Amino acid sequence: MRLFEYVPVLSVDEACAQLARYGQDASLLAGGTDLLIEWRRPIGKSIKVVVDISRIEDLSGIVSDDGIVSLKPLTTLSDLLKSPIIREFAPLLATAASSIGSPQIRNRGTVGGNIMNAATCADTVPPLIALGATVTLQSKRGARQLGLADLFLKPYHTRATPDEVLTDIRFPKPSARTRSAFIKLGRRNALSISRLSVAALLEQDNNGVIMNTCIVPGAALPTWQRVAEAETMLVGEKPSASLFAAAGKKVSEVMIAQTGRRWSTEYKEPVIAVLVRRALEQCMEQNVMQKGAEA
Amino acid sequence: MTKCAITTTINGRGYSLSIHPNQTLLELLRDELGLTGTKCGCEIGECGACTVLLDGEAVNACLVLAPQVDGREILTVEGLVKDGKLDPMQESFMDHDAVHCGFCTPGMLLSAKALLDTNPHPDEMEIRTAISGNLCRCTGYVQIVDAIKALTTEATKAAQISTDEE
Repeated sequence: MRLFEYVPVLSVDEACAQLARYGQDASLLAGGTDLLIEWRRPIGKSIKVVVDISRIEDLSGIVSDDGIVSLKPLTTLSDLLKSPIIREFAPLLATAASSIGSPQIRNRGTVGGNIMNAATCADTVPPLIALGATVTLQSKRGARQLGLADLFLKPYHTRATPDEVLTDIRFPKPSARTRSAFIKLGRRNALSISRLSVAALLEQDNNGVIMNTCIVPGAALPTWQRVAEAETMLVGEKPSASLFAAAGKKVSEVMIAQTGRRWSTEYKEPVIAVLVRRALEQCMEQNVMQKGAEA
Repeated sequence: MTKCAITTTINGRGYSLSIHPNQTLLELLRDELGLTGTKCGCEIGECGACTVLLDGEAVNACLVLAPQVDGREILTVEGLVKDGKLDPMQESFMDHDAVHCGFCTPGMLLSAKALLDTNPHPDEMEIRTAISGNLCRCTGYVQIVDAIKALTTEATKAAQISTDEE
């Protein structure tokens, strides 16, 4: 493993002070499920200091308050799975968390790490973007909030500066009418890396007309984003098989427009369309059971 | 590189150690403490051969930085033996021929123990999920699942009833 100094910190202020001091030469450590593999690779960025933030109490926990769910970044993927708050307000996030790695990985891996590692296959990200999540980055200079979709620059790169630490992830509670789904395609069930995934939210009015929808594909676009072109096709319409299929096709077109035709396109083009259709169908199959916040 | 001082409990025994920070828990257990029951397989968290319990939760020892166990409790396969007696899970693995080459066994035992400690009556799907991070290259999964199932509350109750009836 690469050589480094190890600095455990117990507060966000201490973490910020260490980052202000070491900048690019420091690496934050939480669960370590991605970083320990990286640090053992013979090539790669050298690190002088590892700042272990895993014991900062303020960065743990899930809070439901006043129409908002706040997730602290050290929340493990297992915590997400077990949380009654997440199961109630963001079942698609629980589904996504359950699809990551193995029990051993989920017991260590954190939602903050999943986000900040910024791998295109990070499975908690599409659901969180669909939920309209914002994140808080803190440094000695102060704190700033940004939309989760705006955090990402390109694969494995975020807009966070080297002195910033992720301190909060929050999203508004979806309305009681909102139904959601997350579908992932991997090469096997356990320990699979997403080849493609889709997070979808769907909200209908009393007459069954779609009022609101979010479609966020994973591992499909250079950075995660809602596919507005497909969403607008759905809003104002009543759900139908042909409508969902058309929305799927639209997502596929947007993907190709952004990524160009690559070696994997022949496969991804039809498959992403089907995953989008299935995710929307899966939303419809659910009863509106989750209580959610009042609309 | 500065060494770090840590105190940790491994298999019920307290340790005060001065360790190099840039090593994994797996390296600490095997190379420094001689606890070689925990196996080194893929070293990327895929195979589960290095599974140990950290504060009661199954983790891959190859993905835990050694100083992160400061103040925490670890259970390895060596700690399953109490007063010279094997753990019921180990007995059950033997009774069900759930050990083939044996390399995955320590990790399987600990994943199974973590499951039953928190959920004493899992269904088969829960058992399969609990060992989904442990690969058995001999593919002896059926026997492993049977061995775990035999120790669930339901199985124990059923055995009790049949004994009572006799």
